[in-house]
Amino acid sequence: MTTAKLNRRSNAGENPLAKIIKQNGKKILAPIVAIALFLLIWQLACSGPKPNLPSPLTTVQETWELIVNPFFDNGGTDKGLALQIGASLGRVAVGFTLSAVVGIVLGILIGTNELLFIAVDPLFQVLRTVPPLAWLPISLAAFRDSEPSAIFVIFITSIWPILINTIVGVQQIPQDYRNVARVLRLSGWKYFYKIVFPASVPYIFTGLRIGIGLSWLAIVAAEMLVGGVGIGFFIWDAWNSTRLSEIIIALVYVGVVGLMLDRLVAFIASKVVPADQK
Amino acid sequence: MPHAPCPMPHARLAITHYPLPITMSVFVEVDHVDRVFNLANGGKYIALKDIELRIRQGEFISLIGHSGCGKSTLLNIIAGLDRASSGGVILEGREVKDPGPDRMVVFQNYSLLPWLTVRENISLAVDEVYQKKSAAERKAIIEHHIDIVGLRHAAAKRPGQLSGGMKQRVAIARALALRPKLLLLDEPFGALDALTRGSLQEQLMKICNENNVTCVMVTHDVDEALLLSDRIVMLTNGPEAQIGQILEVPIPRPRKRLEVVNHPDYYSLRNEMIYFLNQQKLAKKRKTQAQAPAVVSRNGLEKVNLDIGFIPLTDAAPLIVAKEKGFFANHGLEEVTLFREPSWKEIAKGVGTGRLDAAQMLAGMPIALTLGAGDKRPLPMVSAITLSRNGNAITFSKKLFNGGVRTLEDFKAFISADPDKVHTLGMVHPTSIHNLMLRYWLAAGGIDPDRDVHLTVIPPAQMVSNLKAGNIDGYCAGDPWNTRAIKEDLGFAIATDLDIWSGHPEKVLGVTEEWANKYPKTHQALVTALLEACEYCDDRRNREEIVELLSLPDYLNMNPEYIRPGFIDSYNRGIGEEPEEMYSYNQFYVNKTNYPDKNEHLWIMTQLARWGLAPFPKNWVDILTRVCRSDVFGAAARDLGFLDTAREATSIRLFDGIVFNPDEPMQYLNSLAIKRQIRIEEIFLDSLAA
Repeated sequence: MTTAKLNRRSNAGENPLAKIIKQNGKKILAPIVAIALFLLIWQLACSGPKPNLPSPLTTVQETWELIVNPFFDNGGTDKGLALQIGASLGRVAVGFTLSAVVGIVLGILIGTNELLFIAVDPLFQVLRTVPPLAWLPISLAAFRDSEPSAIFVIFITSIWPILINTIVGVQQIPQDYRNVARVLRLSGWKYFYKIVFPASVPYIFTGLRIGIGLSWLAIVAAEMLVGGVGIGFFIWDAWNSTRLSEIIIALVYVGVVGLMLDRLVAFIASKVVPADQK
Repeated sequence: MPHAPCPMPHARLAITHYPLPITMSVFVEVDHVDRVFNLANGGKYIALKDIELRIRQGEFISLIGHSGCGKSTLLNIIAGLDRASSGGVILEGREVKDPGPDRMVVFQNYSLLPWLTVRENISLAVDEVYQKKSAAERKAIIEHHIDIVGLRHAAAKRPGQLSGGMKQRVAIARALALRPKLLLLDEPFGALDALTRGSLQEQLMKICNENNVTCVMVTHDVDEALLLSDRIVMLTNGPEAQIGQILEVPIPRPRKRLEVVNHPDYYSLRNEMIYFLNQQKLAKKRKTQAQAPAVVSRNGLEKVNLDIGFIPLTDAAPLIVAKEKGFFANHGLEEVTLFREPSWKEIAKGVGTGRLDAAQMLAGMPIALTLGAGDKRPLPMVSAITLSRNGNAITFSKKLFNGGVRTLEDFKAFISADPDKVHTLGMVHPTSIHNLMLRYWLAAGGIDPDRDVHLTVIPPAQMVSNLKAGNIDGYCAGDPWNTRAIKEDLGFAIATDLDIWSGHPEKVLGVTEEWANKYPKTHQALVTALLEACEYCDDRRNREEIVELLSLPDYLNMNPEYIRPGFIDSYNRGIGEEPEEMYSYNQFYVNKTNYPDKNEHLWIMTQLARWGLAPFPKNWVDILTRVCRSDVFGAAARDLGFLDTAREATSIRLFDGIVFNPDEPMQYLNSLAIKRQIRIEEIFLDSLAA
């Protein structure tokens, strides 16, 4: 009895931070160890006399200026990484917003109309498998300008998951909700914004999350080809001047920003979608 | 109302029907509803078949039955969420075509919108339906109903934060806030724990009583149905589910959940429901196990495991006695199971499909099935023994009694006085002797049974409740259903069959010809056992014991006092006179009851033809010979040492004095004044089934 009591008391006396580490130790420690191991192997593999790729240490040394100065602007395309990323994000914002609006509106219309769905579904199934860059020549030919072409590529890449998920979401509306609407004789417009839209919100957000990921994939690829300010062209430019370290640091930025975009949409979804529907 | 061609004989009656009396008492009318689903493989699934139900304003109806019997489909059809394939639903004289807030539904899974709070869920409905009211009025309605279901503290919560019981209360509040004419509930308390269920049931009952709401509820909880309902509608299994039985719940209101069990009828009603559900469960099991039941041969018989159908009537006594007193077993039939069937239609179907080996049948059924009455394929039947004679009466409502109707002439005068009023009379089956006798009786009094009155088919067990509901003005049925109406002071017997045709054949044993030829020894043993049982039933010393057997839950499940009149005691017609002694009211053996008489079957043929129920066969002699197997009866009688003699070939004479000469049936038919177009056809039967 007494020993048990003593143990409990000593537990209670631990500092809260230590407690969190103790409870979530695995979740925090394991990734740190994995990253450290990864860097170590990379360092060892690339520490020969003339390595093909820079080691992590070389990378940091060579790009230190870029890391500490993300906002410099020397005119032209010679800008800090944050500005490059910002330019890319701007394009994503425009293209993604377009595809979200068009995708959701079209999706709701097609989802509620079975004939329309049967008519266009095969077309969508074909188009959605087209890789983002395959659209680029067409959009360049159509818009004759790099900026709208890049935005179009983002739009056309990210619209399919949004559209298709919205359609499925509308089709999956439980019969119960439809019955409620039918019994109450909700008019067409009210039926859309009181029942159809809220009921398909979880599906729409799944589509948005996939869509934002795809649009980030697409922009990096598109910018490599169309040029201008942006993280994609920054990588291409670095490759042309064989500044491999800069490419590596840009990749890290691209990955982190992609992750943050995904989490941002997920966070909005968690605020918007009611607990019952998740 | 459009009607799909209906294979059952009574469809003919339904088609020739006359505008039903739209009385104030009928609020909702479910009229011959069929629901057929088209299957993906191109087939059809008939979920509901010929559902007919009338609901009064303020009435609480429960639909009960096993899963998949189409209860919810029926509810959805009433709600307008689903359409009947034929037939329809009429609410206050208008056909239900689409859903609407006047028929608010409380769905099984609450159907609350999860992104709205309790208050918003209710206001979505209220705002939409009461668009003409001011915002303040609407708010008052919403808040009032939140209070009614006691959810003030949770009004701002979303459904995800509520328990099942609370969600259901929101759904009920939402429905009640719209003041629907009809509240439809689909297993509203199914998913709740016992305590919550109990208190919600009481709340619902209170709200319904206070607001005089008409309710239809789907449930599978027998106690819930008994607590809440005025009438319980029990559905048979799908496919082709139909109303098996309607149970009236006479427990006075207001009811208390813990007190209803003390009502004297509670457990007999509960038993009745359990029995029905168990029978349906057995039927389902039989269906899934094998299409044809396994054949057990023993004792030198081809088959000793027989499934025999009966209808809960006093004259089911021979079957029940043969089973309970061991007559079946004595003759080697060791595994006989008696199945209480919901209607004569089910009996005909059961024997036709082979689900039942044999059944108690109405005297006219073997002939009608053989002739293919009702545009069906002729199904050759065999009847080797008549099981009973007499035992029927025509009961008229007290309303007619109070209108001065005492005799057939009075009724004729009563009808003529107000030709626009339609009088509806019930009978149990188009080919029943009840129908034929009722028609004969009416026609003899100068009343055309198709033009001057409306005849409708109602299973015997539902007659009294229909009379009580005012759906019919009278009926012809076997006892105890006449006595029941008389004892409950709902009606009076204007005529018994002793007054119309004393000694008429009433119930017979029916099997298909195919069955009789496949199992000849079994058939013989069955007839012999039943003949012996019939003799036992007619010995009045045994009658007290038989009443006890009949009243058992597995058989009639009824208070013996309803069975006794006519069977043991004197018969009270309910007209304020001294009860009469009627010794031959239930006749099972004496006066050569059991001989399968061709002449009587011929009379039945003429009557079926007279009313257009079946064509008159040119080859009637051939058909009679095949149906009436007097050879089997003779062998049975000799085996028991009983007299093996035919009934005297005296001509049949009914109360109006017209003589039926069995040698000249066509002449007889032509001589009748009131009749329909008579068809004369050759009925081709398959060659004798091996």
